[in-house]
Amino acid sequence: MLLKLSLSSMRKMMKDYLVLLVGLVISISIFYMFQTLGMNDDYVKANSMIRSIGIVFNVGAFLLAFITIFYIFYANSFLLSLRRKELGMYMVLGAKKARISQMLFGETLLMGVVSLVIGSLVGIVLSSGIGQLLMGVLDISADGYYPFYLPALWMTWGFFLVLFLMTATINAIRLARATELDLISAEQQNDNIKAKGIGTMVVAILGILLIAFGYYLLTHLELYVALGFIVGAIVTTIGTYLVFISLLPVFVQMLKNNKKLNDRQLNAFTLAQLRFRINNLTKILGTVAMLIALGVGAMAGGLAFQQNVELVASIGRIYDITLHDPVAEDYQALARMQVLEQNTYRYKKDEQAYYFTKDDLLAHPPLISTNTMEQYSPDNEPKRVTQPLPEKAYIMNNDPDEEQKLARVPKEWGQAILREFISSYEMLADRAVQIVDQETYAKIEGSEHKVLVAQVDDFLKYKDDLKAMDERQMKLLKSGQQDDQEVYLNSKYSTYQQVYAFTSGTLFMGFFLGIAFLAMMASCLMFKILSGATRDKGRYSMLRKIGVRKELLVGSIYKELFVVFVFPALMGLLHVLVGMKMFSVILLNPYVNIWAPIAIFVAVYAIYYLITVRLYRGIVLPKEV
Amino acid sequence: MSTAVLEVKDVQKIYGKKGESQSHALKGVSLTIEKGEFVGIMGPSGSGKTTLLNVISTLDRPSAGFIQIAGTNITQMRQNQLADFRSQKLGFIFQDFNLLENLTVYENIALPLSLQGVPSKEISAKVNKVAQTLGISEILQKYPVQISGGQKQRAAAARALVHEPAILLADEPTGALDSKNAKSLLETMADLNENHQVSIMMVTHDAFSASYCKRILFIQDGSLYTEIHRTTDRPQFFKQILDVLAELGASHDG
Repeated sequence: MLLKLSLSSMRKMMKDYLVLLVGLVISISIFYMFQTLGMNDDYVKANSMIRSIGIVFNVGAFLLAFITIFYIFYANSFLLSLRRKELGMYMVLGAKKARISQMLFGETLLMGVVSLVIGSLVGIVLSSGIGQLLMGVLDISADGYYPFYLPALWMTWGFFLVLFLMTATINAIRLARATELDLISAEQQNDNIKAKGIGTMVVAILGILLIAFGYYLLTHLELYVALGFIVGAIVTTIGTYLVFISLLPVFVQMLKNNKKLNDRQLNAFTLAQLRFRINNLTKILGTVAMLIALGVGAMAGGLAFQQNVELVASIGRIYDITLHDPVAEDYQALARMQVLEQNTYRYKKDEQAYYFTKDDLLAHPPLISTNTMEQYSPDNEPKRVTQPLPEKAYIMNNDPDEEQKLARVPKEWGQAILREFISSYEMLADRAVQIVDQETYAKIEGSEHKVLVAQVDDFLKYKDDLKAMDERQMKLLKSGQQDDQEVYLNSKYSTYQQVYAFTSGTLFMGFFLGIAFLAMMASCLMFKILSGATRDKGRYSMLRKIGVRKELLVGSIYKELFVVFVFPALMGLLHVLVGMKMFSVILLNPYVNIWAPIAIFVAVYAIYYLITVRLYRGIVLPKEV
Repeated sequence: MSTAVLEVKDVQKIYGKKGESQSHALKGVSLTIEKGEFVGIMGPSGSGKTTLLNVISTLDRPSAGFIQIAGTNITQMRQNQLADFRSQKLGFIFQDFNLLENLTVYENIALPLSLQGVPSKEISAKVNKVAQTLGISEILQKYPVQISGGQKQRAAAARALVHEPAILLADEPTGALDSKNAKSLLETMADLNENHQVSIMMVTHDAFSASYCKRILFIQDGSLYTEIHRTTDRPQFFKQILDVLAELGASHDG
C-alpha cells in the first residue's frame, strides 16, 4: 500500500523530481566523461600529449564530485520538505514511522539509480560525441579511447551510489526525528518580517570590507602567494554571504521606503514579495553567487589558458621555423610561405660541443625576444643581437669545473643560440656551445651542419607544412640518439601544439564543469523559489479578485524573480572578473575573450530564469475562466 | 431615469459540458439593487448564492442572461476589461479577509488606488480618510499578523471602499469573527450605507448578520425563492428572517 502511495505521490511531484533529475544526470554524465578521459591509462600512455590533460580531468572530476555532494543533500532535503505534510498525514492515519522511513529511503535510492542509469547513458553518448570532437580538435588519435569504458563506469556508479546511500540514510534519520505535528504544521509557519536595525548596517559594511580585502589579496598574489589565495578565497566567500544577508534586504527596504515608487501600481506588492524572498533566500543566494563564480571562473580560466597558447609559444622563440640540415622538401615548403626573414648559419658538431662561426653570426645577427614569462608585454618588440664579438672564441654551457680558458658567450648571443637555434634539449645533451672565428672553425674536426631560422607572416597559416617539417626534424634527431630515448622538439610549432593540447583540455574541462555547476546552482535556486510558491498562491488569487490585470501580475512575477536572479549573477560575475586577475601570475593575458564564457553563462542562466518564471506562474496564477 | 446600481436578468449558470451530466447552479435569476440599498442574499448551502456572487463580481461568467453594474453590461467584457472593472467599480470583503500579509495595512488599503495610477499624495489622503471612517487610523503601519480579526476585517472593508466603488460586495464578512467584532462590523456597514450612501450586497447564511440589511433575497436551488423588506426594527426583522428560513427548511424536507 505504501509503495502505491509513494509511487503516486512521486508521479504528482514529477515536475520537481524532473528538475532534480536533470541536475543529477548532467552531473553524472560529465563525471563519467571526465573519468573516461582521466582513467584510461592505456590511452593516456599512447598519447604523451594528453598525459598532462589526464591530471586536469581528475581534478575536474574531484571538483565536480565535491559540488555534487552538496547539491544532492540540498535537493533531497528540499524534496523532503515538500512532502512533509503528506508524510505526516500518513502517520496520523496510522502508518508506522519505520515503514515511512523505509519508503523514503527506497525512493531516494530509486531516484539515484534512475539518474545513474540515464546519466551513464548520456555520459557514454557525450563521450563518444564530444570526446571524439576534442580529439579531433587536438589532432590526437582516438585509438585506445573508448566512450564505453568499464572502469570509468564502475567509478561513477560506485561514487554516486555511496552518495545516494548517504543521503537516503540522512533523510530517513531526519524523518525519524520529527513528530507528526511537526510534519503536519510544516506549511503554516508565517513569513516573519524581521526588524532591520543598526546591526544590519554594521554587518553590511563588514561584508563589503571583507570582499574588498579578499579582492586585494587575490589581485596581489605575486606578493602573498599561496596564503594570499587561501585567505583571499575564504574572506571573499564570507563577505559574499554577509552582503547577501544584510545589504540586499536593506537595499530592498530602501526601495520600499520610497513612497512614490512603492505606491505605483503593483510595486508595493512586488517589493513586499521581494523583501520576503530575499530574507528567506540570503544563504542560497550567497551560495549561488559563489557557484556562479566557480562555474564561470572554470570556463573563463579554461578559455584564458587556451587563448594564451600562441602568446606562450611566442614568448621564448621569435623564429617560427628552426631547421637543422634542411632538405629539399623543407625548401619547397618554405617557398610556399611568405617568409619575412630567413637566415642560415653553419656550425660544426663533435662530442664536446657545437661550434658556430663568428662570421656567419655577425653577418646576419638574429632576432631575440625581449619577453620572458615573468615579464610580459605585447609591446615588447623583438630585438636584434648587437653585442660585439671581439674575442677569438667564446664558450658556454660547459662544465663549470673545467678550466676557464675561453671567454663566456655574451648573454644575447647565448639566448639566440639556445632559444632560437637549438631545437631540442636532447640535441644539446652534455655538449658545450662555442662561438669561434673562421680560423679556429676550419681547424675543428667534426661534422659540419647548418641551421636555418625563418620568420613567417603568420605561422598558424602553415600548420600542415610546419607539422611535416617538425616530423622530418624529429626523424633526424632520433637518428643521432640511442634507441628508445624520448625526444621533445622545442620548435615553435611543437611548443604551440603541446600547450594547445593542454589548454584545450583545460578549456574543455572548464566548460563542462561550468555547465554542471550552473545547472546545479540554477536548479537549487529554482527549488527554493518553487517551494515557497504554494504559499504565494492565495496572494495572487486575491489580487486577481480585486481586479489586477493579468499582465500586471505576470509582470510583477518577472520583476521579482529577475531581482532574485540578477543579484547573485552580478556578484558572481564580479568575483570572476576580479578573480581572473589571479591567473595573471601564470597567464599572459587572462582577459582575452572573457565575454565568451560570460555569454554562455548568461544564456544558461536566462533559460533557468525563464523556466522558473513559467513554473512559478503555473503554480501561483489562478486559472482563467 | 433608473437609479439601479445592479441589474441581473435571467442569469443562468450551468456547470459541466453539453451532453455530460450538467448541474444548473443558477436557473434564471433576476434582481435589481438600487443605489444606496443594503441587500442581503440568503440561502442554504448549495443554493447558488456563492455562484451568484461570483457571477456578479465578474469572477465567473454566466452561461446565459445579462448583468449590468453602474450602467455597464459586464457579460460581454474581455478578461482585462473585467479586471479593470473590478478594480474601479467593485469593492470586495471576503470571509477570510484576504489581506496580503506581507503588506502593511496602509499598503493593503492603498493597493486599489495604486493600481489606478493615483498619485502618491492623493493615495495618502484617501487612505487616511477611509481609515478614520472605519476607526483603524492607529494600525495603518502594522502588518496583518499583528492585528485582531476585527481589525483585519475593517482593514479589508477600508480597502474595498477606498476607491469609492459603485457597489460593495461582501461574502460572509462576519464568518471568521467573534460575535462582538461581527456586531461592530455590521454596525459599521449599516452606518456606511446610511450615512455615506454606500450600496452593499452581502451574501450570508447567518440570520443575525442579515438582519442589518434593508432587504433580503432568498435563493433556493438556483432560483429566487422570496424577498422580504425591513419595515420594523431589527430584532423584529431578525424573527421574520428566521421564519422564512424555517419555511425554506420545511420545503426542503417536504
